[in-house]
Amino acid sequence: MRIKILGTGLTKFGELWDKSLLDLALDASQEAINDSRLTINDIDAVFVGNMLSSKIESQDQLGALIASSLGITNGSFRVEAACASGGLAVHLAIQSLFAGTYKNILVVGAEKMTDIPGSEIVAALMGAGSEGERKAGLTFPALYALMAKAHMQKFGTTRAHLASVAVKNHYHASLNEKAQFRFEVTEEKVLESPVISSPFTLFDASPISDGAGAIILSSDLSLQKQGSKNNVYITASTVATDTVGLSERKSLIEIAATKQAAQKALKQAGVEISDIKIAEVHDCFTIAEILAMEDLGFCPKGLGGDFVYQGHTKLGGKIPVNTSGGLKACGHPVGATGVKQIIEVANQLQQRAGQRQVKNANLGLTHNVGGSGATAVVHILQS
Amino acid sequence: MSTPATIWRSHKKLNLYLNKTGRLLVWTKILVAPAGFEHQTPYLVGIIQFDPPAGGERMPLQIVDCEEKDLKINLKVITVIRKIGKAKSEDVIEYGLKVKPI
Repeated sequence: MRIKILGTGLTKFGELWDKSLLDLALDASQEAINDSRLTINDIDAVFVGNMLSSKIESQDQLGALIASSLGITNGSFRVEAACASGGLAVHLAIQSLFAGTYKNILVVGAEKMTDIPGSEIVAALMGAGSEGERKAGLTFPALYALMAKAHMQKFGTTRAHLASVAVKNHYHASLNEKAQFRFEVTEEKVLESPVISSPFTLFDASPISDGAGAIILSSDLSLQKQGSKNNVYITASTVATDTVGLSERKSLIEIAATKQAAQKALKQAGVEISDIKIAEVHDCFTIAEILAMEDLGFCPKGLGGDFVYQGHTKLGGKIPVNTSGGLKACGHPVGATGVKQIIEVANQLQQRAGQRQVKNANLGLTHNVGGSGATAVVHILQS
Repeated sequence: MSTPATIWRSHKKLNLYLNKTGRLLVWTKILVAPAGFEHQTPYLVGIIQFDPPAGGERMPLQIVDCEEKDLKINLKVITVIRKIGKAKSEDVIEYGLKVKPI
């Protein structure tokens, strides 16, 4: 398969008090359309990835709202899969392009999370969990803390291993002008910050963020993206799902949906995991990046902590991971994340990632997870 | 969101799990809570593996009547009925399952 990325647009991530959800979606969309050199009339449909607009803004029909505000009337769809909403919107857009229903699609992932108090956003995000998890007073930090505990018990993964994910991703974010946290942190700072859910401290967690990302996808491979050295294509797009409740899964030390989606994606693109030069993975919590390294196949099961700790995934390492700063330090506006990951890899493949540029990046992977592992979406991009 | 109807429905299954024993697989102490649970912090939540014949199934439940230092892997626990979250003044007070060490 081959779908062309014609343009990208990304807002800054962070606490953006002066921007509404619609402002963010429109800013990113307009930038992507300008970048593609298409006009509004060339866009056949709009796919919107968003999790929380019904709860936070009391806004439904987000698809029609965003499309009509752009002056597009051909069709628009909102896609929801918790924190994988953005990745899933891209996947569905690609299926529509293959079906031949549309030729050029705008995919926009957007989330506005900072308008309500912390305890309410923590409760709202638990919509991505099970009823039993909500009744137990669980939170997403706590669910991933349980996975971290299980990984530490089984493989001897340490707090220093976990902290090394945060230290690396903050370093990458310090080089990214769109990132929420443009500062570096030390291992001591991560370990000594307040505990939110044992064994996690505040710096093991991705933040509450506002932001939006947009891409223009096309099935017309003859369309040339101007002003860019390389054309970028999506050559695999896969999804796998699992139980929504963590305790119902066969194993607490892996995300089976990630493994399943990754294996399908590598087969679809006809490449090996060892061919991948760069990856954006779902590091909502430090343990999540360690699990992703193992479940995607970058390192053997149980060795993910040491793999990150040794620096293999830092800029300049064997396989740079989360050069954007990841969810951890670039920020995690949940519906936008899956789209932002694709934008970061596309920028790397087009050699326009500035200070974060990975030399000779020509094959990249994105990995977007919903909830504690109920949905996994994997994309492979090639230049 | 809990309403009288959702509480009534969930309680129809509650008796299947009364006085059930199991063991603690993994736990965390929560210090930052979702809305409705802030008054309980810090509190302990674990994944419990029930003993047969409860089906051997796993469930996430709060662990009460103990402190984190008392917990260890495979600790034997038993289900108890306790208040779930904090009801607003006009709401029905919800009760449900938690576990305590045996």
